[in-house]
Amino acid sequence: MSLLAADIRAFFAAARKELRQQRRYPTLFLGLLFWPVLLPASWVLMGHAYSGNDPQALAAFAERAGSTNVAGFVFVGYAMYMWLSSLLWGSGTALRQEQVRGSLEAVFVTPASRLVPLFGPGVATLIPMAATFVVMGVALWVLFGVVPPLGAVLQAAVVVILGVPALYAIGTLFAATVLRFGEVAPIVQLIRGMFVLACGITFPVAMLPGWAQVWAWLMPPTYIVEDLRRVLLQGAGLAEVAPHVAIVLTIAMLTALLAIAVFRFLETSARRSGMLSRF
Amino acid sequence: MTVAAVETKDLVKVFERGRRTIWQRIRREPDKRDRFRAVDGIDLVVEPGEIFGLLGPNGAGKTTTMKMLATLLIPTSGTIRVLGIDPLTRPREVRARLGAMLSGERSLYWKLTGRENLEYFAALYHVPPGETKARIANVLAAVKLADRADDYVERYSTGMRQRLALARALLPNPPLVVLDEPTVGLDPQASRDLRDRVRELKAQGRTVLLTTHYMEEADQLCDRVAIIDHGRIVALDTPAALKRTIRAEEVVHLEIALDGDERPVIDRLARSATVARSERSNGTLAVTAHCASARDFVPAAFDAARSTGATIRHVEVVPVTLEDVFLAVTGRALRE
Repeated sequence: MSLLAADIRAFFAAARKELRQQRRYPTLFLGLLFWPVLLPASWVLMGHAYSGNDPQALAAFAERAGSTNVAGFVFVGYAMYMWLSSLLWGSGTALRQEQVRGSLEAVFVTPASRLVPLFGPGVATLIPMAATFVVMGVALWVLFGVVPPLGAVLQAAVVVILGVPALYAIGTLFAATVLRFGEVAPIVQLIRGMFVLACGITFPVAMLPGWAQVWAWLMPPTYIVEDLRRVLLQGAGLAEVAPHVAIVLTIAMLTALLAIAVFRFLETSARRSGMLSRF
Repeated sequence: MTVAAVETKDLVKVFERGRRTIWQRIRREPDKRDRFRAVDGIDLVVEPGEIFGLLGPNGAGKTTTMKMLATLLIPTSGTIRVLGIDPLTRPREVRARLGAMLSGERSLYWKLTGRENLEYFAALYHVPPGETKARIANVLAAVKLADRADDYVERYSTGMRQRLALARALLPNPPLVVLDEPTVGLDPQASRDLRDRVRELKAQGRTVLLTTHYMEEADQLCDRVAIIDHGRIVALDTPAALKRTIRAEEVVHLEIALDGDERPVIDRLARSATVARSERSNGTLAVTAHCASARDFVPAAFDAARSTGATIRHVEVVPVTLEDVFLAVTGRALRE
């Protein structure tokens, strides 16, 4: 077995270990059933209350958002929010738990690549996330009668899969800093807030001031959520969103390389200062 | 030529003590933190196949030394070779050949079963998939946990968790096993049990390097012991040879009640034995004396006490231990 093959096996073992631990707390999964439905549904109802379903108001919304489907717009945005939260927290939380529990050193004395504990546990967030998307899709259909065509759903799935590396890389960038700073939750909260504000999660990017829109289009979530809405709500095909996907994948690669560099630097620094065993 | 299992030369690790705030960093204020030499020039050679112990009180530098060998800490200066490999330049090769049990029960996943823990670490240790099952069965049998392998670790006793941590260290089938305070927190039975497992490792031809602050453990288990204090090795030999260095056959602990100055009584005792330690607390003077024969010394001690107006309240005669060696070379008790 080559070193790379052994590390890939270790990578999936790390994800499996996280999933096994999650399974031991089944009540955590109850949240998957409620929050993806309750919050976006209340925003949709609030939107309807503001517009009174007036065609003029809906037309104004469509001008900015590209669709009159308020429920679809909100649910896709909220799905993005859930996904972003999950990946931003996933790797960092797992690494932090290892640090606090005292198992980080045990992992670090093995010959597995350091990238295994950095990238591996985040995979475990993908399965609950996929379940969340299914729950939201069913809620959108049952509560608001919105059923995108199957072809659009499959294309949206492709956009999601291609978007995973970008969000994953952002999550691991924050996870890397756990080695130096320990608790990075406040920074993650701040960044998540910035994404929600700037990336068109709950309202169209067009509503932002011009300078903020420039920043918005430097962030992968802006592209991903925009592409999902175009595919699901406006009937766009994959070819039409391909340029965005290419940009997202490029940003993903750069962010992942940055995360690896930061992690390596901080790991060496922690081995000098003794921070590995402190928290 | 046989390669030493571990070899260090002038190994030094300096830590900064105290804190430097972000505000101080932003203002570029001079760094006023103390530099603390946790390991201060350790030279060590551990031969293949031996059980080698680092014995010393908490904070002596044992764990720091161990972590440098296990690639978890980068030394400030000095050289290390683990099985002939430099852990600074080839850390993954060292990790692949090293079984380490460093933070004991805390290093396990309590919400996983023993077997699940080992499955995860087998992957991290790059155990080939085809061998994983058998390797796990072997290490579980070696630490006598096969019957509890499918219980959650949270249901294990502390001793069982320590044994599981040892099983994990054996997963890569390592020629060198490092154990940091393997029996700390265990009851006597569990400690004995774990020590038996360590002896089995030696019988299998592995080298074991362990740290401990239990002198009995070092005495019973180790082929050679390095006594470490304030980051330096102050004595290194077999336990028997170390005990011979204090030139005493027996150790006598005395508790003496006295009102006035303790100097006269200590001086009188020193005529018949080596007073290794004396400590006064309220009206009681505790004395540890190293002597050739307690049969001769104890009556002399009673005479000394009587002649200085003191009263001996308690006498205890014990054989020489590594604790006495530590006392003789550092002037302090191991537990202080």
